[in-house]
Amino acid sequence: MSILEVKGLTKIFPGTVALNDVSVSFESGRVHALVGKNGSGKSTMLKILSGSQKATSGSFYLDGEEMHFSSTADAFSKGIATVYQELSLVPGLSVTENIFLGRMPKKRGIIDYRRARKEARELLEELDIDIDADLPVSGLSMWQRQMVEIAKAMSFNPRVLQLDEPTSSLARHEVESLFKIVRSLREKDVIVIYVSHKLQELWEIADTCTVIRDGEFIGRVEMESTTRAGLVSMMFGDVQIQERPKDLMVSDEVVLSVRNLTRKGKFTDVSFDLHRGEVLGIAGMLGSGRTELLKSVFGADPFNSGKIFFAGREMHSPSLIRMKKLGMALTPEDRKHEGLILEDSVASNLCYASLRELSPNGFMKKGKEREFVDRQVEALQIKVASPRVSVGSLSGGNQQKVVVGNWLNTHPTVMFFDEPSRGIDVNAKQQIFRIMWDQSRKGVASIMVSTELEELFEVCQRILIMRDGRLIGEAYPEELTVNSLYAMCMGEGEPPRPVGSGGKVKTERQN
Amino acid sequence: MKDNNTSVPSVKAGESTATRLVRGLNRHVLEIILLFLIVIVSLTSPYFLTAGNLLNILRNVSMTGIIAFGMTFVIIAGEIDLSVGSTVGLSGVIVALITRELSEKGMSVTNACIAGISVSLISCALLGLFNGLLRTKFKMPSFIITLGMLNLLYGLAAVLSDGFPITKLPEWYSWFGAGTLFDIIPVPALFLLAVFIITAVVIRYTRFGRSVYATGGNPESARLSGINVNFVKIIVMIVVQVCSAIAGILLSSQVMSGTFNFGRGWEMTAISAVIIGGASLSGGSGKIWGTFLGLIFLGVISNAMTLNGVDDYVQYIVQGALIIGAVLINSIQSKRRKG
Repeated sequence: MSILEVKGLTKIFPGTVALNDVSVSFESGRVHALVGKNGSGKSTMLKILSGSQKATSGSFYLDGEEMHFSSTADAFSKGIATVYQELSLVPGLSVTENIFLGRMPKKRGIIDYRRARKEARELLEELDIDIDADLPVSGLSMWQRQMVEIAKAMSFNPRVLQLDEPTSSLARHEVESLFKIVRSLREKDVIVIYVSHKLQELWEIADTCTVIRDGEFIGRVEMESTTRAGLVSMMFGDVQIQERPKDLMVSDEVVLSVRNLTRKGKFTDVSFDLHRGEVLGIAGMLGSGRTELLKSVFGADPFNSGKIFFAGREMHSPSLIRMKKLGMALTPEDRKHEGLILEDSVASNLCYASLRELSPNGFMKKGKEREFVDRQVEALQIKVASPRVSVGSLSGGNQQKVVVGNWLNTHPTVMFFDEPSRGIDVNAKQQIFRIMWDQSRKGVASIMVSTELEELFEVCQRILIMRDGRLIGEAYPEELTVNSLYAMCMGEGEPPRPVGSGGKVKTERQN
Repeated sequence: MKDNNTSVPSVKAGESTATRLVRGLNRHVLEIILLFLIVIVSLTSPYFLTAGNLLNILRNVSMTGIIAFGMTFVIIAGEIDLSVGSTVGLSGVIVALITRELSEKGMSVTNACIAGISVSLISCALLGLFNGLLRTKFKMPSFIITLGMLNLLYGLAAVLSDGFPITKLPEWYSWFGAGTLFDIIPVPALFLLAVFIITAVVIRYTRFGRSVYATGGNPESARLSGINVNFVKIIVMIVVQVCSAIAGILLSSQVMSGTFNFGRGWEMTAISAVIIGGASLSGGSGKIWGTFLGLIFLGVISNAMTLNGVDDYVQYIVQGALIIGAVLINSIQSKRRKG
């Protein structure tokens, strides 16, 4: 029997409090779920316990002994092992070599492969993991890698095992095998801390659930005496929804039609229509396939089957360059790596998508370019001393505006916004939303994806709900609460109706 | 596009003249060092600042310079071409070989030579296309592709020429490499100037130039902005090979022979000029003007050492040290920028 006690844990980053005076304890022989929405502080807590970050104040004790970690290796040796979402295995090495990475057993200074293999095999057998220890990791599937990762963590004989979203990339039957192993750890008297955003699985695997919201400890409950609604309201609290402007209109005219679109392993059989002037939201958790869907429709990524109708015709094998020409735009999720060229100037970054228009005969029209730059800097209120400074020196919000401006310069009719508010402050967020509404008034149709579902309520007229790569239904914001939408995305409850069957917007128009 | 201005923070109001001066000096550090160098060298050798010597320097850097301008495109796009030195030898061999073979079959030497020049340019363009396709279709690193080609083309040129210089070339051919305009300006320098102007205009004023910077700066952002990144990479690989073919033709013309080991090691000089000129090997930055300064820099140093009777091998040491020094300065500057 061992116990991990966290006392007054606080972590302050410049400008934000990630964890505020969190105290909780976890006893062994049980699986402790740790939940909270994005940015709630649960990852920060995990990182502090795993030794990869230091707490600003507060402490934690394992079996009464205060823990001080200067590195993750420290945490491992003191008995706290962590398996992260991004796996840390070396693909070219074998399962054995990965498990004992950096600490292969040696005999007279030479690695003792025979012993290593034997120990690895015993370990896998003990955990009931059916994987050949001699196979290279590169040949294993995602869930097998996940198992190897757990075996590696267990080879340290930890008293605490932290699992960060272990099922996020696993299929249903793979999840079962994982759960079997987690349950066996419970028998071994290990403290298992289990972070997940898939609510429904918590009742299958966890004994207790600790909720963190905005860095605050909200409560620790026993799973068996908790309802789903109770947990959801603990996670999200009372959410204030901002008013959406009243003058936004949706036309009957369909500008984009997607039918039965499938990309293997990413999304399946997706169909929906987008109307002129509409602001459509896609709600889904990370990994639900939303980003991949947008990219495939935009022609940036391939798809396996299905049809896309855009600009009045079917697009056979759409390419990004053609879609752009026909009036489609996409501001990517990861602006630093996909949306901007950080070392280049604001001016250049505002013109990359419209280069062709700015140089009809191959030569850049400097005057027109300046006009394009000034127009966006002014319209989007990009705060910058001169458009010639590098875009990397701007704040997140201003960078996001540059990404949006780059695409507005192409005069799109359909715009995809993938996580437009990620990592930007409240003010900039409102400005981005206002830009989307302005575009809607001009007849531009938008699709917005956000992990912060309350933003969809604020911005969108219709919300599609995506789960495990499928669109499971749609809803109007008025029909739902934020909590019920979160619950649906996490696998609880059904949406009001199938996609495309709602008539409310249209009747509004007819009246 | 990468401007001087983008590499430094914006001008802030109320800044003292002194800080602005320092920043200005910082921006033109290469020009300043070059000026210093010229002053020092002209003090050590009175012959240095004569028109004859200066034209001599220009002639010496012309051929590697043409390659360096092409290489600037490649490096800005985030790629590299190590095979250019071998292309120089190969292109000369192709010209001379075709001239010999066709004239032996009864064609006039002039026509045969024109055919040779055409074939040489076209086949080198195809080599660039081949490199570019390997790079984009099979995602091979250009470093490895062109490292292979460096040896492959060298061997190919040797096999084609049986290892001997081929010297059957028409007399007028020597004009390209050894001729002068108005009895003073070397013709290769005119080629250098022409390539300089064309590349500088393309990189600064055209859509393609912008696309090259975007491709090197962040290929994924460029792709998602609708820039055809693969097309850009293929074209730059072709450009540098054609530039090398031109350099090879000039060199074979100067010596009046196609010899397989011409141009050995020129990739080093060309890449050095680009790097000394301020381009980053990780792509996205660099300027034709910078490459030109780098080129002159290398030319002046080499000339000064020759004038002062410095040993050939010592020149290698100095050139190598210069590259490391230039990259060091760049790294320090960018580190300071990032703070």
